[in-house]
Amino acid sequence: MKHSVNRPPTPDAAEDQGKEPTLQEIINVKLIESGEKERLMELLRERLIDCGWKDEMKALCRAHVKKKGRNNVTVDDLVHLITPKGRASVPDSVKAELLQRIRMFLMSAAL
Amino acid sequence: MSSKINGHVSPQPCPHLLVFRSRNGPKPFRALKDCIRVKPPGGRAAIRREPTEVARCGTCEESSRSRLYACVACAAVFCHAPLLHSHASDHSLSIPGHEIAVDVDRAELFCCACGDQVYDRDFDAAVVLAQTVNATATTSTSGSTAMQCSVAGSQPENLRKRRRVDYRPWEPDSGEHISRGNQSIPLLDAANASLVSSTQQPWGLRGLNNLGNTCFMNSILQALLHTPPLRNYFLGDRHNRYYCQQKNGAINGTKNSRLCLACDMDALFSAVFSGDRTPYSPAKFLYSWWQHAANLASYEQQDAHEFFISMLEGIHEKVEKDKRKSQSPGSGDCCIAHRVFSGILRSDVMCMVCGFTSTTYDPCVDISLDLEPNQGGSGKSSSAKSLNSFNVEADCMRPNQNCGISTLKGCLERFTRAEKLGSDQKLFCQKCQVRQESLKQMSIRKLPLVSCFHVKRFEHSSIRKMSRKVDRYLQFPFSLDMAPYLSSSILRSRFGNRIFPFDGDEQDASNDLSTEFELFAVVTHSGRLDAGHYVTYLRLSNQWYKCDDAWITQVNESIVRAAQGYMMFYVQKVLYYKESENQGTS
Repeated sequence: MKHSVNRPPTPDAAEDQGKEPTLQEIINVKLIESGEKERLMELLRERLIDCGWKDEMKALCRAHVKKKGRNNVTVDDLVHLITPKGRASVPDSVKAELLQRIRMFLMSAAL
Repeated sequence: MSSKINGHVSPQPCPHLLVFRSRNGPKPFRALKDCIRVKPPGGRAAIRREPTEVARCGTCEESSRSRLYACVACAAVFCHAPLLHSHASDHSLSIPGHEIAVDVDRAELFCCACGDQVYDRDFDAAVVLAQTVNATATTSTSGSTAMQCSVAGSQPENLRKRRRVDYRPWEPDSGEHISRGNQSIPLLDAANASLVSSTQQPWGLRGLNNLGNTCFMNSILQALLHTPPLRNYFLGDRHNRYYCQQKNGAINGTKNSRLCLACDMDALFSAVFSGDRTPYSPAKFLYSWWQHAANLASYEQQDAHEFFISMLEGIHEKVEKDKRKSQSPGSGDCCIAHRVFSGILRSDVMCMVCGFTSTTYDPCVDISLDLEPNQGGSGKSSSAKSLNSFNVEADCMRPNQNCGISTLKGCLERFTRAEKLGSDQKLFCQKCQVRQESLKQMSIRKLPLVSCFHVKRFEHSSIRKMSRKVDRYLQFPFSLDMAPYLSSSILRSRFGNRIFPFDGDEQDASNDLSTEFELFAVVTHSGRLDAGHYVTYLRLSNQWYKCDDAWITQVNESIVRAAQGYMMFYVQKVLYYKESENQGTS
């Protein structure tokens, strides 16, 4: 990547604007750096498949595409369509499990 | 408008992608390819400038956005949430030529101007290559995509293109002339013709007497008698019992050598298709089978599936000794039983630590399916134990199931789903050289002519130390498309949205047989594990017939749909459709 690509200088967050990173930011970075975020994502994917959430979202998308026509639907359309329904229909058990995992991580990372 | 690769439609590029490609030389994505990072468990491809980079939006500096895109032209990363704020769109609007970006977590190309995914063959090829290199052991740096197989050679023998043979019209040879004269019975004479037209029953429908708890045998025999390729084989005199016994008698004079289940099948076909409608007693067949499967020789109730497997083995055993055909597993060249029922299953076992995948191919004559676990009840993964109170809610979320109806398709989906093997089932990883936790996924490499699905209707409780039968209803379709369960489809879905053709594709395409199947027989069981009754439903000329030992009655298809399926027989549609014509008129 270092050759032949015009690349604007990477903005350095802390130095550039003097903005304090939010707690969410800090936690997110910690999760990524430790590799925990990847594991949590895999766990979440597995749970959402098991409970049928993925199938339900797929069905919604298919129905929409059928209605609008295959060539008239974009990824952004679909994301817009399923985001509210998707967020609302994640089972409480899945939310609870992930929150628990994050809590455990935070305790072990001594934040 | 869209082009096809191996039957899959590949989308046309958007105008912005075309412009980008034309402006950036023959390899517009070469810099991007160096940024493909593959994470071992699951093998997901991501885009990172440095391996340890934490991707964040260049404008708002947030890393916790759900969609982050890297501009392919300048490598800057931006967030994209069209309704709130899309810094990616802002970027694409501010600098012309910077519309094409790549999703950093999914390695999929995106056009910020069109707001839609776009595809590039070379880029997809590079992603797939990166994912497969990671997944296979390579001692050299060539990064080949060859997968490990247990079958000798890089490609299973049976899938090499068959040599075409010139058409020659058939003429009976001298042996066939003789057998035609002596042992043939006319299919249509005056008496039979009137019988057939009056009862309007198709050929080959004949009750089988129960010889003492032999409904397990009768039910399977009825299904086999109407398995199109098997029926054609025997009715076409491809195994002549007189000729075979003559030959066997000449080689070994002993009684055992004259045991040939194929000969007994031939006799059965002759009897059942003779036109005689009185119930037939398959006593000779039973006796022969007892000799073959001595451990099961009794008048006790048996399992129909066990009988089915044992029968196929019996036919295979005898024939194998006679012919010296190629013994490559799954090719079906060895005997008619395998020619009809044998398919090839592919099993991929992926190490969760390093991502190395080992692939094996095994022939199979049927597929045994687990019923979906009880809705709202016990028996799911151990990690859900602590959330027991939420189980009912979670399980009822399945959209296909309307709270409780299991389907054959659902079972097949579960069969081909990637399954995490428990920590007590660690498998040896060749790369790590230790036992590791693994992910296993099954798929179908080669479809048989006839697919037999066996539903595991027994549950073993280790607590109570007993098995019991599961009566739960399973919905099964009359027409079934096996495409989603093929190795090519399963592999494809592992790599995400790619238009690059896969290792599995070529073989499937050259097969020329479609993936569509038609149901023609259902073996049902009613009763308990130790005491029950088997009944077979047959589909002939688009009518359904219930075969209950000696009694054959025509039934409505709704009866069949509601029945408790234990074994379902599907034949390739191309071998079936002729059946829908009225046989009486030919």
